[in-house]
Parts: sequence; C-alpha cells; structure tokens
Amino acid sequence: MVRRERVRKRKRGESSSFATFLRSILLSDYFVLYLTLVFFIVAAVFFPTLRLPGNIANQLQNMLPLLAVAIGQTCVLILGGIDLSVGSTMGITSVVGAILMAQTLDPSFFDKSPLWGTPFMGPAGGIFAGSDLAVPAGVAVMLLLGTGIGFLNGYAITRFNLAPFMVTLVTSTFFAAFALWLTQSRNISGLPEAFLELGKGDLISVYLGVKATPEIARRDILPFITYPFIISGALAIAAHFMLSRTVFGRRIYSIGTNRRAAQISGIPSRSVITRVYMFSGFCAAVASILYSARLAIGQPSLGGGNLLLDIIGAAVIGGTSLFGGKGSIRGTVFGVMFFVLLLNILNAMRLDPFVIDAVKGLIILLAALFDITRTRLVNREQRA
Amino acid sequence: MKIRGVSLPQFLLNNSTIVLFVSVFMLFGLASERFFLPENIVNIVKQAAFTGIVAVGMTFVLLTAGIDLSVGSNMYLSAVAAGLLMRQQNFEVLPALIASLIVGTLFGAFNAFCIVRLKIIPFMTTLATLVIGRGVGTALTQSQQIDFPERMNEFGQALVFGVIPMPIVVFVIVVIAAWYILTRTPFGRQIYAIGNDPEAAKKAGINTNRALTRVYLISGFCAGLAGFILVSQLGGRVDRSFAEGREFDAIAAAVLGGTSLFGGAGSVFGTVIGALLITMVQYGLSFNLVNLYLQPMVKAFIIFLAIFFDSLRAANLYKLKRRFIRPLDGLPADPQTVGRSPIEAARTIPSGD
Amino acid sequence: MTPESTPPPLLQLHDISKAFFGIAAVKAVSLHVNAGETLGLIGQNGAGKSTLMNLIGGVVLPDSGTMTFKGQSYTPRSPADANTVGIAFIHQELNLFTNLSIAENIFINQFPRTGILRSIDRAALKQRTRALLHSVGLDMPPDMQIERISPGERQLVEIARALYQDAALIILDEPTTSLTARETERLFAIMDQLRAQGKALIYISHILGDVLRVSDRIAIMRDGALVSHEPTRAYTINRMIAQMVGRSIEQLYPPRTSTPTTETVLEIREVTASGIVERISFALHRGEVLGLFGLMGSGRTELARMIFGVDPFDSGEILIEGQPVHKPSPQRSIQNGVAFVTENRREEGLLMSIDIANNIGLVALKDFAKSLLQTIDQGELLESARSTASALQLKSGDIAQQPAKALSGGNQQKVVIAKWLMSQPSVFLMDEPTRGIDVGAKYEIYSVIDQLAANGSGVLIISSELEELTGMCDRILVMSRGEIYGQFERGEYDEERILRAAFREIMTAEPMLTEMKS
Repeated sequence: MVRRERVRKRKRGESSSFATFLRSILLSDYFVLYLTLVFFIVAAVFFPTLRLPGNIANQLQNMLPLLAVAIGQTCVLILGGIDLSVGSTMGITSVVGAILMAQTLDPSFFDKSPLWGTPFMGPAGGIFAGSDLAVPAGVAVMLLLGTGIGFLNGYAITRFNLAPFMVTLVTSTFFAAFALWLTQSRNISGLPEAFLELGKGDLISVYLGVKATPEIARRDILPFITYPFIISGALAIAAHFMLSRTVFGRRIYSIGTNRRAAQISGIPSRSVITRVYMFSGFCAAVASILYSARLAIGQPSLGGGNLLLDIIGAAVIGGTSLFGGKGSIRGTVFGVMFFVLLLNILNAMRLDPFVIDAVKGLIILLAALFDITRTRLVNREQRA
Repeated sequence: MKIRGVSLPQFLLNNSTIVLFVSVFMLFGLASERFFLPENIVNIVKQAAFTGIVAVGMTFVLLTAGIDLSVGSNMYLSAVAAGLLMRQQNFEVLPALIASLIVGTLFGAFNAFCIVRLKIIPFMTTLATLVIGRGVGTALTQSQQIDFPERMNEFGQALVFGVIPMPIVVFVIVVIAAWYILTRTPFGRQIYAIGNDPEAAKKAGINTNRALTRVYLISGFCAGLAGFILVSQLGGRVDRSFAEGREFDAIAAAVLGGTSLFGGAGSVFGTVIGALLITMVQYGLSFNLVNLYLQPMVKAFIIFLAIFFDSLRAANLYKLKRRFIRPLDGLPADPQTVGRSPIEAARTIPSGD
Repeated sequence: MTPESTPPPLLQLHDISKAFFGIAAVKAVSLHVNAGETLGLIGQNGAGKSTLMNLIGGVVLPDSGTMTFKGQSYTPRSPADANTVGIAFIHQELNLFTNLSIAENIFINQFPRTGILRSIDRAALKQRTRALLHSVGLDMPPDMQIERISPGERQLVEIARALYQDAALIILDEPTTSLTARETERLFAIMDQLRAQGKALIYISHILGDVLRVSDRIAIMRDGALVSHEPTRAYTINRMIAQMVGRSIEQLYPPRTSTPTTETVLEIREVTASGIVERISFALHRGEVLGLFGLMGSGRTELARMIFGVDPFDSGEILIEGQPVHKPSPQRSIQNGVAFVTENRREEGLLMSIDIANNIGLVALKDFAKSLLQTIDQGELLESARSTASALQLKSGDIAQQPAKALSGGNQQKVVIAKWLMSQPSVFLMDEPTRGIDVGAKYEIYSVIDQLAANGSGVLIISSELEELTGMCDRILVMSRGEIYGQFERGEYDEERILRAAFREIMTAEPMLTEMKS
C-alpha cells in the first residue's frame, strides 16, 4: 500500500525551511563563532601554516591581551559611551609598573626623566627592585592606576556633563605624553622574572609529535593554559556574569538604552557610569600587564597605533552597538577570535602591513554593514 | 557690573573660548615679550590655517551630528597623490593642487557612500577609512617618503601682495566661503535643520541624503586642500606619519568654537577661534621652550578647560532659557511675564515703576 | 444653494484600504471633505486615524482604493507630493527646528533667492514671513529663534507654514495637547478664519468637547473602518463615545471602592522654587485619590518632579509618612515608597527596545538580588512580573520576549504602572496617566487607580481633563501659575467654579481663595 504523504502547500509569504534555517543562523548569538570556524576551515586549505599547532597556539595567546581590553570597552559601549583612552592607559601603566619593578635602569637612557634621582628611579632600578614583593606591588599599582584613570574619565563625564568622546580624548593625549615624558621615549627593560612569567608561564602545555627523548625541544611544547589564558578567561567570565546576571549589569543596559528613563526609575546613573569607566581602565591595565610581561618591557607607546580600531572592530563584529544598549561579552570573545584569525590569514598572505591595515578597515565596514542588516531583520521579525 | 545686560561672570562664561584665548595669549606674552612680535603672530595664524581649514570642513560634518575621523589620512593620501604626480608625471604646482583636491573629494565621496547609501554610522565609517586611507597611501609609496620638487617649496613660501603668506590667504578664502554657505544659502540652513531634527528635515521635504553627501565631500575637499598646502610648508616631504592625528585637532578646534558633537549648533567663526587657540597653545609652548614632552599635556589640559567651560555655559543657558511660570521674586504673577524667560521678561517690564 | 450647484468635495476617498504585515489598518474607507468646512475625526488609538492621515499626506501608499483632490486623481508618493497639491499635515510633534528662526523654518525648503550665487534673499524672506505671521495673528520678529517661543506660538508658525504652501486642506493632529487655554482659543479663531477663506480642515483630537465645538461634520473610525460620518448636530458626547467603542458605555469611570483615611502619607509644606512654584502646601492621605487640576504650564508637572526629587527646589519641606525627606532624589523617593508615573512614557517611562518583563522589573530590581554579588533571580523576577501584569490585565505576547515598543499606548502605560507597583509604594504620583490612551483602556487604568487607593496607597493624579478628575477623585486641588488656588471636595464639584480657579489668568476678578482644609 502506498502511503501518500500530504505535501504541504507553501503559503504565500512563508519561506522555505532552508531560508528559515539560514535566518536563524544569521540572527544567532553564535553567528560570529560559526563564521570564524568556517573562515578557519576554508583558509586552512589555502594556507597550510594556519593548521600548524604552533600557529594555533600562538594565535590563541595573541587573542588574550586584546580580549582583556576589549571586555572593558564593550561595557563602556553598552553604556552608550566610548573610551578612547584605553591605549594610553595601557602605555602609562606599562611604564609605571616597569619603573617600579625594574631591577636596573640605564642612566644614559633615563637620566633626563623627571623621576631620575628620586627613590623611584635610579641605576639600581625602581623602588621595588629586588624585593620579593616587587611583582605583586607593581601589578597592584598598575591596576590601581588604570582604575584611577578610569575614575577620572567617569567623574569628568558625569560630574561636569562632558561628552565621553572629548574627555577620553583629552586623557588619552595627556597620559600618552606623560608616559613618554617619564621614560624619555625609551622602553624599560630589566623586569623581574616573576613578572615575565605572567606573560608566558604556562600551567598546562601540549606536546604534539612523535614520542621523543626526554630532551624535548622547548619550541615543541605548546602553551595552552597559560597565565594570560587564566587571567583573560577569568576576566571574561566575571564580566559576562556581571553583565548578564547582576543588578549592576542590568543597570548598564538600561542606562545605555534610555538614560533618563533609567534615572527616573531610580538607577544611580552617575555612580554606574563612573564605575564602568573605572572597569574599562582596569581592563586596560590588565591588558597592559599581559602585553608588558610578554614583551618583557615597559613600553610607553603600548596601546598606540591602531589598537583602538582593533578593539572597536572586535566589539562591533561581536554585536555591540555604538549607540548603546546592545552587546555581550560572548559576542566580543567571538569578535576578538575572528579578528585575530583575520590578522593571521592576512599575515599568512604575506601582505604588506599597511595593506593589512587597509583590509582591516574594510572588514570593519563590512561588519558594520552586516550589523545593520541584522538589525533590520530582527525588527521585521518583531513587527510580524 | 553689567555688560550688555548680563553680569560680568555671565558674560565671561558666554564667551569662554575667546576669554580663554585672550588669557592664554597674555600668559605667553608675559612669559616672553618677544611673543607679541608680528612675525610670531603671523606664524601662529599660518600654522592655524591647516588645522583651521580642516576644522572648517569638519564643522559642516559635525553640524549634521556626524563626524569625520579620516581627515588626517585624507590629507596624507591627497598629498601622496599630488606628490607622485609631481615627481613622476612632472606636474606643475597648480595641476597637482587640483589633483589633491580631487583625491580629497573622492575620499570624502567614499565616506559619503558608506554613510548615506550603506547607512553605516559615521564614526565606524570614518574610523575604517582612516585606516584604509593610510594603508592605501603607504602602499602607493611603498612605504617610502616622497620628496616634492623645489617648486613646491616656492609655492609654500609665496606671499600674496608681497606680504601675506599664501596659507593665510587660502584660509581666509575658505573661511569666508564656508561662512557664506552656512549662513546665506539654503543648503547651509538646511544643514542646521538636519542636525537639529533629521526626521523633521525629511518631512519638510529636505533632501537629507544629498545634503549629507555634500558635507562629507566638503570635509574631504578641505582635507585635500589642507594636505597639499601643509606639504608646501614642511619642506616638501611626506612620510608615513604625515598628518597623523590631525583629525582630533580639527574636532577639538570645532568643539572649542562652540560646535556641538550632537549637531545643530556651531559656526565658522567659532571654529576659527578654536583653531587659533589650539595652534597658539602649541606654538606658545614651543616658543617658550617648554619641555617637548610636556607640551601635549598642557595642550590637553587647556582643551579640557575649554570643554569644561563650554559645559558650564550650556548648563547656565539652559537655566536661563527655560520657561518661567511666575516672576522670580515672589510677587504676584504678572500676565506679561508669564511664559517667558527672565531674559525676555526683563525687557518687557518697565523699569522704575 | 441648490444641490446642483453644490461644489464637489475638495478631497474624496473611495474604498481606501491599507494593511501592514497582513493586519488591516484601514478598511475600505470612503470619506469626503468639503472646502470651507472642518471635519472632526475621532476614534480610539489603533482605530486607523493616523494611518488614514498618512495615506492622505503621502507618507504611505494605499493598497487599494482611489483618492481625488480638487477633482483630479490624487496619488501621492511622498509628503512632498502632498505638499505640492496643497495638503498640509501638521503633526502632533511639531516639525520645527529649534535652532533656526521662524522665517527659516517656514521657508526651509523654498527660500526666496537672489543674485548670481542664488543665495537667500533676506529682505524678501523677512517681508514674506512678516505677512504670513500677520495672517495668523502672530506679532513676532521673523528672525526670532523657535526655541524661544511657546508651544502655542509654534503651532501658529506651523499653520503659517501651511498657509504659505497655499494649502487647500490642512490636517491638524492633536493640536491642543501642549497649548494653554488662551492659545487654544487663538487657534480656534484662526481655524474659523481659514474656513471663511474656503480652506478645508481635518481636526483630530481626543478632546471630544473641542471636536464638537469646531467641526461642521464629524467622522468616527473604529477598528479601521469608518462607522459614522454626519453633521455635528447629530452627535452628543455619549453617542461619539458609543460609536468609538462599539458599545455604549454606561459609565466612563468605575465606582470607587475606597474612601480616604485620615492618615497622611505625603505632606508638602511651603515648597517654593523661585519662578516656578510658590509656597505649595497640601497633604495626601492613605486610600485617597487626590486630583491636581490646572492648565498647561501651571506648574503641576514641575511640582511633581520636585516632590519626586528629579528637580531641586529652594525651600520648604516634604514629608513621607510623617518623616521629612532631606534632598530628595529618585532613589531616595523610591526607598521611601514614592512612585512617579511621568507624562511621557516613551521618553522617561519605558525602555522601549527592552522586553516587557525587564521593564516591569526595573525599579524593584534590587529586591530580586541575591547574595553579595547581587545576582538577579530571573525566574522570580519573571514570575513576579507576570503576576503584576495579569493583575493589571496587560494584553501582550510573552513578556519575556516582546519589547515594550510593540505594545499599544494603554498597555504601555500599564507596564509603567506595573513597574512602580513592584516597589510597593505608598504614594503614587501620576502625571497625565491616560494621555494618548483610548476610551476602553482608560477605564481599565481608572480601575487600577481605584485599586491602588483601595490597597492603601495615596494617589495624586495630575490631569488636564477635568471630567477625569471629577469622575475619579476624592478631592481636587487647582493650581494656577505655580500656586495652589483652590480646593474642592467631592460633592462640591462644580465645573465652572473649578475652571474659573484654573483660568485665573484671563479673569480680571479677584482669584478665589478657598480655605485650605488640612
């Protein structure tokens, strides 16, 4: 007996199940992740270097400092603001930390620095030089400084009612110059080993390859769960938790959506805004710790150049809106992944660095365009 | 003491940028008498021309509540194009200038396309084109610097009427043209309307797309112009970091001059004052041999002061302009003063009754 | 005039229909408007008035049906087309640019030009503007900035603009919402003038008394269809309401189930803010619904904002449940049990793009926070929000998914009220709680207000609709130009006396001062 299946006539206006599937992917929170994976798989075919475990491990580690600072910026963006000073914050905290922790400082470099001759800077290094507490103290100061700069930003914005763009622009200029002044444009080396561990020490590493003799080349051991991984990972988890599950996070979204309505509903907007900028400064300091430790120097120009573009690009790709009220840590994580992969591919293509920059810019345009299309789709769904 | 009907502190606040300008000017003069020499003033105005020309173009954009972060890269790319044409195609100065203007305007057209057609917000678009522009420019020059031929220097040192440096003349022409457009043409008034209420502007029948496109073209044009002239002043050399960061000076100049980042408010004259202020600060600091490292810090601080006063002024104005329901001193409400601001009420109540 | 020589209608709609995403907004409406007449158009929110006007104004295109204007086929593709044929649409939110002058606003798209550069002819601009302003009775300098003139004056500028465009048909959408009484009178006088000149007007308003007063004919819409279209004399308020709602409403206001106690929940003593309010004193009791009546601009909203702590005041005291409040702020007010439903829910009451549940939970958020980290128990919040929403009979989709902007005005207002209910306030300040809400939903809001009082809160209602206050309140205070000018108890409500107290500014007689009963 033949079973006749009733073929359902597609009603006018109803799309095919494939289109629906496609739309659900497009609108999914994980879209960027899927995109990244697809990109990776496709690119790996053309650029075998991408597949190397060493490369993957390297990219993973590259992601981490960028992720740290992007987390703070994401929160600021959701609030409806912007923090242009994160780069300079990275620079000044790097420098201050290095000055405090350096175990030796070259007079020919630094003798014109305003701090030279004070207990803070001398041929024997910084004030904490040699001490067991050098690294914890140095790190603590860096974090405090970053948070303090964030506080300055937040205070000026809320107390004096100044535009975030202008305020963070001013602090950015100021602290970038300050960092250069302190170090006379030099990088500071001679940092304690314990600090450098933060940048590369790993807890769990992976060895892939033929079982070999006990003397395995260091090069072949791949870092996996490193300190930066733990630090950035913890920061991401904490931030995600804060944004999605706590009162504070809910308030951030509310202020970003409609500050006046939030205020009348009793949300202490000034306090929330200030704290979010403090958090952004804190995250910048964390990123600075990771970068400085990895590079083994205190670098006044850290965070300069196109870093802001990278951060905002990653955030926007991850779904954060520059208007406020929309965004997530999860999205930013995926955005950073995508971005780092993109850079990896561009490097593998052996393009000139400036061409890479140009392509980066184009990708960001595409991301913004994509976000607009997505929003339009979502609106249409909601209206129907 | 009252000036024009308002108290002295009030008056100072309303014109805070000019006050700041004069104060800083005096301060530098006190530090070194030579500061007041005419040749220094001329130098300041000359240097202000570059920031000023770009800032004037930026003002158009800011008035529509947009922003153009790409002007620095635009200046660079336009200069690169002109330089290549002068070096490799043996262009004369004037055709090269025109080429620079064309490149600048095309750059602006690309911005306009992304913003108006693709509807990508100006911040994102121009942040991206900032990077793309410099990337393209660097690629074109293979990362080498370009040395312009000698005639570029001659052009740069040219004196109009034998006295006035060329950049100043160009600056003045740009300022007058911009002022005229903004205050005397329908297009200019429509820009203010769009900045105030884009939806209402559309409903009133204004072609907002066309107006928005034009403001970004203007900004690009100004960048092309400023870039070319700047090269002629810097000894005819353009390297990878040419005009880096100029966009922020331009924005600061406009904001100091009273242009609101939210659109609808601003003037060419204000922007000029802002540009002069920023340039004077920079110039004064190097003139007084202030530590090179400290200069940006001082400049940042002064800009902060300026936006701080601007915010105070806006808050104060708001308090004055809002409607009052009854007279201020507790007297029974006078029907003549109801519904008017104190400024108005003060003018209608006959004095000495 | 014999029927044969009656001129054809200026505007004629024949079987016009329009649907959005499959939902019919306008269903086969046939309507006409004659030159020299005012057509009053009424209907609840969602009845299709706005869509119909948008069709006429060229903002949207009809799905089917035809329109003729001045005898010609009329198919506008944009507002500009409507303008060109002579239709002016004055929206509720005035489309004026506050940073430009009157003259520039009127001529923004059609400046008189001169010279080779085709720049603005300023002399002509000034002259023409002056003439236009004169024709609407405004005596102001053409270069005055819009931000310095009152809403009533701005309305007249809009009309002047419509006149300039030689409009033959002028549509006025809720024009009197922000006008003072004097300005409303002036508007009506201008409208009479325009009619005498042969212009046609469509007047849309929720204020039924005004519609009866100014219209020659009235059209009533319900659920997208035109249900009634007759000369004004055929209508009474009751009939209008009945037609709008589709059933006769015996009562517009639910019966009150509570009576005020003597326990004071809110007391205001000599609150003064220079230039705004002067020595305001009154008390609100538990279980009481207190009305605050006054004309637009009498200071009621300003007072409410001061009580709640949004704006500062110079002197005086505020006591909540007997305790004085120092330096009130929204947070402190909420802690003390005060709620504030503002008059503009879109701007200050709701987070439009966020889902209903999270809107409802916004004020009482901390109550759902557990542990040191202040994590939100979303499940509990959702449950609490659902029960509050159903207590208010909120009609919506899944409140955890649907954004607030998807709701109708009445339901949006319920969300705002629900939000405040969650903090269990003892004082409810409500500013124009039924503004922009249709008749059916209004009744529901009134029931809620009665419930609030019955549950022991004190409710202060600010409203410009006197009937609403006389229908619901135990006591009515009248505010005029920043002072309390009268107090009326239930039982002595006399509309004329109350209005006189509020209209003090146009009366030459001494204002009424009733003894303030504590």
